[in-house]
Amino acid sequence: MSLSLKTNKILLLFIAFLIIVGIWQPNVLMDGVQRGSMYALIALPLALVLGILGVLNLAHGDFLTVALYLSYVLYSNINMDPLLTMIPVTIIMILLGGGIYLLTVKYVVDEGHLNQLLITFGVSMILIEGVKIIWTTQPRNVFTGYAYSSFSIGNYSFGSYGLIYLLMAVVVLVGLQLFLKKTRLGQATFAVGQNPKGARIVGINVNFVYLFVFSIAVGILGIVGAGMLPQHAIFPSVGSPFSLKSFALAAMAGLGNLNGILFAGITLGVGEAIVNAIPGYSSWADIVFFGVLIIVILTRSFREAR
Amino acid sequence: MNKNYLILILLAIALIFPLFFGSYFIHVITTVFVFLALSLSWDMMLRTGQLSFGTAGFFGLGAYMSVMVVLKLGWNPIFSLLIGGLFAGIIAFFLGFVVLRLREIYFAITTLALTHVFLVIAENLSVTGGASGLTLNRAIFNGNSVKIYYLILFLTLVVIGISEYFKRSKIHFAINSIRNDEITAKSSGINVFKYLLLVFVITSAIQGVIGAAYAQQYAFVEPSSTFSLNFLLLPIAMALVGGIYSTNGPIVGAFILGIISEYLKLIMPYGHLIVYGLIIVVVVLFMPQGIYKPLKNKLSNKNIRGDANAQSSN
Repeated sequence: MSLSLKTNKILLLFIAFLIIVGIWQPNVLMDGVQRGSMYALIALPLALVLGILGVLNLAHGDFLTVALYLSYVLYSNINMDPLLTMIPVTIIMILLGGGIYLLTVKYVVDEGHLNQLLITFGVSMILIEGVKIIWTTQPRNVFTGYAYSSFSIGNYSFGSYGLIYLLMAVVVLVGLQLFLKKTRLGQATFAVGQNPKGARIVGINVNFVYLFVFSIAVGILGIVGAGMLPQHAIFPSVGSPFSLKSFALAAMAGLGNLNGILFAGITLGVGEAIVNAIPGYSSWADIVFFGVLIIVILTRSFREAR
Repeated sequence: MNKNYLILILLAIALIFPLFFGSYFIHVITTVFVFLALSLSWDMMLRTGQLSFGTAGFFGLGAYMSVMVVLKLGWNPIFSLLIGGLFAGIIAFFLGFVVLRLREIYFAITTLALTHVFLVIAENLSVTGGASGLTLNRAIFNGNSVKIYYLILFLTLVVIGISEYFKRSKIHFAINSIRNDEITAKSSGINVFKYLLLVFVITSAIQGVIGAAYAQQYAFVEPSSTFSLNFLLLPIAMALVGGIYSTNGPIVGAFILGIISEYLKLIMPYGHLIVYGLIIVVVVLFMPQGIYKPLKNKLSNKNIRGDANAQSSN
């Protein structure tokens, strides 16, 4: 009971925060929501892997880079619309995720944190450098008409493309929740996340669940990559900052709280947009995430210590 | 006895090395020493069981501080190395009070996030020159590569000495017991936090001094290249390859990887660092002890067998 009261309080605060920002500067709110839902969308698969496998995937952002490049290749070679590349890119990413899981992560799932962090760190480096070898460091751009479309409410006009992230984030979130609650495999996944040993005893194929979750998580990044391509210039390290940002959101929402990630993402996205909007201080915006990440981790640790 | 001779011979080689080789090779070995020292400092923190991703951050802090005191206050460059180290150590001391309460992934991630925070701060303050960084009028020793080599050799030897001191003195009992089981360590009366803080401050100060020396060698600091993750990734790969929790491991690893990567840089302009990624993965999966220890064991086994043969023939 008290938990739901607390959740409600946080939800009310969240809505009040959005309304205040919306009254102060609607553009900032719009920008922040679009940005924030993109962050949340990227953070969802990381949180899924962290929750079920217990592995913090430091290569997360670099899988996103690979997805962006794959989407770009399809766009430039066979002239596919970036949004249409979503389907083939997602399939390739699922296979890539599964392959990398079987080759590396599989062996460290049951080991200590040190090895898990180091191995995903190594994978991250291989992905970045692999991208550099294949596509060099030259930045690339995609031009589509719809990426810069806009709409207006009253006197304000907003870029509308970014709303696709909000749509995608909600779809992915609802899809994941339905999968975890309604399907048999989803329930098995849930059980593995809660207690791998127990799940193994009752006959769940834990190894398959791990493989499945990791592949799906990387696959979701394929969807995100195709969606991001029209708006972002791509270069080999484009995805790397997202690993840390995604972890910031996962830590802020709390482990296993997938819905919370969307709220955390939008809050931080709006926070970043606010800093961005202050003239002369826009380049400090990056610090919002890292600052919040450090504060959240520290407050958690102090609360546990008490 | 034998081991002491080996150390003396290696030291002599390191000392007379610049007399026989050109400035390119001197430069390569200088860079190897820089990464060797970083690698050792990372390993020293790891010996307490804490995986730090903050190496690049404190490296950058030292580099910035040293360049700033030389440029703005006109202090002696060699003295500025100490200032760089001192600054990184002081920052680490204050951050340590909060950061060292964290464990495992939370400690690792927070130190990585701190590196990014340092980067953003350096990018945005006017005193640090903003995004374009600061440039000195001239490098330390006017860029004389032999003198720079001896300076960095000296610093590296000091770091090796500190690492050995930590291995041999009483401190290592505390450090090892914290790594193996923190609760047991605490209940045997070890002040866990005190030792963690001590190691954290010392390793950060080492990273600061090395960063300062590196910045003085190239006479510039620039946010994205000074706080580059290379100063984190390469030392980790080196320590892993050589073998963690030891002094000799990172030394062996630094030489192997440093020279391989220099060679690869020549034949592969893009993405030669992929080798580091592959090496980290392969080492974690297949040789968790690194190269040095298994090699040493093999060699010493052979020696024992050789002795036995010699005795039996007598």
